[in-house]
Order: sequence, then structure tokens, then C-alpha cells
Amino acid sequence: MMRFLPRDRMLWLAAPALLYLAFFYAMPLIYLLGRSVIGPNGPTLSLFASFFADEYNWRVIGNTLRIALLVTLVSLIIGYPVALALARARGLVQVMLLTAIILPLSVGVVVKAFAWQIVLRRDGTIAKLLVATGIWDEPQRLLFTEPGLVIGAANVFLPFMILPIYSVVKLIDPRLSEAGATLGASPFYRFRKIILPLTMPGLISGMAFVFSLSVSMFVIPSLLMGDRFQTLATLTGRSFLLMRNEALGSATAVVLLVLAVSIVVGSTILSRRIGRTA
Amino acid sequence: MTKIVTTGSAGTRLTRRTLLHTGAALGAGIAMPGILRAQAREIVIGGAASHKPWVETHVMPAFEKKYNARITFEGTRSLVNLEKMQKNKDKPYLSIVQMDDPVMILAVKEGLLEPITVAKVPNMAKLKPGTVHMDGMWANYLQPWQGIAYNTNVLKTPPAAWAEALDPKFKGRIIVPSLQNTEGLPNLFMFAHLATGKPMVEAYKDIDGAFRELQKLKPNLLTVYSQMPQAFSLLEQGEAHMILGALSSFGMQRRLDGAPVSMAAPKEGIFPVPSGIAVVKGGPNMDLAFAYINELLGAEVQSKIAPPTFALPTNVDAPIPPGMPTDAKIHTIDWAFVAENRNEWVKRWDREMAS
Repeated sequence: MMRFLPRDRMLWLAAPALLYLAFFYAMPLIYLLGRSVIGPNGPTLSLFASFFADEYNWRVIGNTLRIALLVTLVSLIIGYPVALALARARGLVQVMLLTAIILPLSVGVVVKAFAWQIVLRRDGTIAKLLVATGIWDEPQRLLFTEPGLVIGAANVFLPFMILPIYSVVKLIDPRLSEAGATLGASPFYRFRKIILPLTMPGLISGMAFVFSLSVSMFVIPSLLMGDRFQTLATLTGRSFLLMRNEALGSATAVVLLVLAVSIVVGSTILSRRIGRTA
Repeated sequence: MTKIVTTGSAGTRLTRRTLLHTGAALGAGIAMPGILRAQAREIVIGGAASHKPWVETHVMPAFEKKYNARITFEGTRSLVNLEKMQKNKDKPYLSIVQMDDPVMILAVKEGLLEPITVAKVPNMAKLKPGTVHMDGMWANYLQPWQGIAYNTNVLKTPPAAWAEALDPKFKGRIIVPSLQNTEGLPNLFMFAHLATGKPMVEAYKDIDGAFRELQKLKPNLLTVYSQMPQAFSLLEQGEAHMILGALSSFGMQRRLDGAPVSMAAPKEGIFPVPSGIAVVKGGPNMDLAFAYINELLGAEVQSKIAPPTFALPTNVDAPIPPGMPTDAKIHTIDWAFVAENRNEWVKRWDREMAS
């Protein structure tokens, strides 16, 4: 029996968290999974069969994945340089940057969504800026459009991209890049051959964070897109809260879960592999 | 060991047990003075949290005095009240529920309500037509209403017709409630009426027609809301110009608060928002429950609670508060038809109204 127990006693430190997750995450999750595959006459996959047979649900899956990927991409493009700058900054500047990144997390999503409403509306800051710079001839609608949703969601999730990348960048020995420079490597070449591979694990976990948060977001699309745009998360919420169709809610939740888990597990495996080769 | 002594009714000898009993009774007397001294009977009402202010100010004090009774008001949501009734079906503790009509239908289906009759509630005879439902299972004590809320800075004259919302000049400026929200349903019936041109009673079941007509509204839609405050904030900021099917209780309050919005009752008519009251089957002190409902359906109480709730009274003797539509067509909603088909409509809405 004893040989199944971990030899390294330090591993026991994970016990409280594991116990907590077993009770409050794994058990409800198993219950949810069960509900989606057990019909009135025993085990069945009919819920999934009818879910996937409906063309509209594929559109919902498409919406969910497209928005999550776009949010991840925008967060990456904005977040990566910030993480590099944050690692390079020292003293007060670094403290200020970190505060600026972390503090917005304490503002609730609902407050942010209402703020975005003011920024994105037709006489809002963004529309005025685009008209003033001549990009737009006249103010157009950004609110309740997919670009508006992506901009808003990326704003909410940005810290989850920056922080994992930053934690990896700050461990990189700056002398590596300097050594490259003395050997005549251009800044771009040094970035591509030294910085990028070394930051890959942080980059992948940041992407996994932002992707799984945005693939399952519920409040942000409800407030920034409204009821005309369904994702798997909003469809799940509605099945439970309005239609009282718990079986359908369980099925959509399981589809969402499988998508999110495969992305997170896939990216973790990828990041470990890259970490080893780097 | 103390010996228990029983001595009939005349004298009681002091034993430890009698002492304990006396002590307990005294203690209870100190802890619950109201109940012991006044002998007041109690009824518990399950209503909405938003009802609490007017129940406590305009209904409770007079009722408690008149009937030497005590009212406990539990303010929550309709579905929670339904659950309270279901869970305590064998021994109900609620005497009255104040809930939305769609939830009343569910309560009737489960046999949780006791019908109201004119014999027990004389004021029932004074109600407007269409306000007593399912053979007296519940009645409407107030009618907040749904019309069009509009931004007064943009629209100098109130919209005269629902059909105006289809005008291309409102491209991306119209908001409607989601079918998930109870207030979202009247638009479906109104658009059935607009599609067919028939009177509402004949038109409202033509849901195909409604969806066809709603396609014309699509270019004008800014969004379909599930959170009403968000819709009103967009309207007040001028990003939206109209909310179709807005609640008077919300819109009129915002106007009173100084926001640039007002409510219009267009020519095609308005919809009453279901504010129902019913007696819980087998609930405590049913006579008091009927008396309470009689008060709420009376002209005196209604004339006090209609103005602060921006609602129309249902008692024909109660005056319509100032600022409310006096001659608007009021359509009744067939909630049984809604209950049967709503999930199907929501599904169809998702598919056909998607942006």
C-alpha cells in the first residue's frame, strides 16, 4: 500500500488544495457530466447527438472559439511587450507598472463593462479619435459589435497574459542577450533566437489563462454584446436559469469544458516540451 | 428525586417542575411581548423585494390596526416564492403571495393556490375586466405598464406608434428586452399585430408573422438587453433613442430623477405588467389573507400605491395617477399561451435575431 503514497513528503503540501478541489470542483463536475449522459432510460449520448445535429449550435461553438482566440491574440500583442518592459524596469517605475497592471483586477467586470459602454459609444472617445484622425468619415457603432467585445474582454484579461510572461522574462539572464550582441547579432536576431524561445513557457501559460477565461466568460458578452450573440457559456447559463433544461445546460457545459481542457492541457504539454528544448 | 404531585384544578403545590414551567412561561412572555399581550394573529406574505416600501408604508399599518393582526413581508423574487410554496406544501407558512402572472400559472398547475371569490373578497367585483385570472386563482392589484421609453433630448415629440421604430432613421438606435425577460414578450405580440394588421386578440398567436415583422426591426436594433439598467443607461446617454416594451415603473422613476427620458403610450396600445396576488392553499389565517387581498383590491389602498409605483389601478373607482395614460388601449397577455411556447420562441429568437 505504502508504495502508492508519494515518497517526497513535500508533495503532501498539496493535500489541502486537492481535498478542497475534490469536494468543491471534481464532485459537482462529475455530477454535471453524469447529468449530460444519463437520460430517463439509462445512459445515452442522445443529448450530444441532438446538440451537434443543430446547425445553430455549431455557430455558437464558432462564436465561442473565434472570440476567445481573438481576445487571446489581442492580449498577446499588447501584453508581450509590456511584460518585457516590466522585467526591464527597476524601482519605482516597476512598482508603478505592476500596480497599473494588477489594480484594474479589483474593479468588477460590471463596472468595466459600463465604462466601456461610455468609451465605445458613437460619441465616445474611440469614435471621436478615429474621426479626428480621419480613419472614419463619421462616427460608427462599436458597441455591441464583435470588435467591441474583443477590445473590452482583452482589457479585462490582459493582466493574466502579462504576469506569466513577466515571471519568465525576469529569470532570463540579461548577459545572454549581451553575449549575442558582442557576437554581432542584430536586435531582431537576438529576440528571435534568445528571448522568444526562453519566454515561450510564460507565453504559452499566459495564452492558456486568457483563452480559458475568455472561452467561458459570461458577464462580459452579456453586457457588451447583449442577447443577440450566444456563446457556449451564455447558452449554458440560459439553459439552467431560464429554460430550466438542466440536461441541455449540462451538455453545453461539457462541450465547453472539453474545449477548454484540451486547450489548457495541450498548451501545458507544449510548454513543457519547448521548455526542455530551449 | 422530586415527586410529581397533581392536585386537580383547585390548588397546585409547588414542585420543581411547576416552578420550571412558570419560569419558562414568564421567559416566553418577556421574549415575545407582542404576541402574548395583543393576541394578534399573523400572516406572512411572500412578495417582491421592490414591494416592501409601499407595503410597509401604505398597507401594513392600517391593516394591522384594523384587523389586530401582524404582517410579516418576505421580499424576494417570484420564483423563490414559488419554491417556498412547493417546499412547504404540506404545512404552508405563507398566507399570501404577490408574484408575476407567469409564475402564478405554475403555482396553479401545482395546486398551490386557493381561489378568491366575491363572497370572501367583495372588492373583486370592482375590478377592471381582464384582471382576474383562471377562475379567481389570482387577481391583479396594480398594472404597471409597458410602452416605449424614449430619449427626450433626441425625440422632441413622443413616438405615436410602435411602427415608428421601423423607420430607417433609427438605424442602430432601438433597444428591446430579451425574451428571457418577462417584459420581452409583449414585443412579440405587438409585432404579430403589426404584421397582420388584425386586432390584437386575433393577431397575437401569429408568432410566424411576428418573427417576419421583427426582421424589419433588425437593422435598427442597437442591442437586445437582459439587464434593464444597462438599457436605460444607453437611452439616457443618447446612444439609444427608444426602448420598446420599457417598464413604466422604471422609466417614470428615471424621468422623476431628472434623466432625459419619458414614457409613451403609442396608439397600438400598451401592455399591463402582471402584478398578481393570491391566497396560498391551506395557509395560516386564511380569513386574514382574504381580508388583506380585499384591502389591496380596494380603491383606497390602490389610490395610495399606484402613484409611487407608476402603475394603473385595477379598481375602477381608483383614480388614474397624474402623468399616466388615461385613454390608452390596454392589451391583456395570454400567459398560458406564453408558458406553453416560450422556450420554443427563445430558441427561434436566437436563430433569427442573431446579429
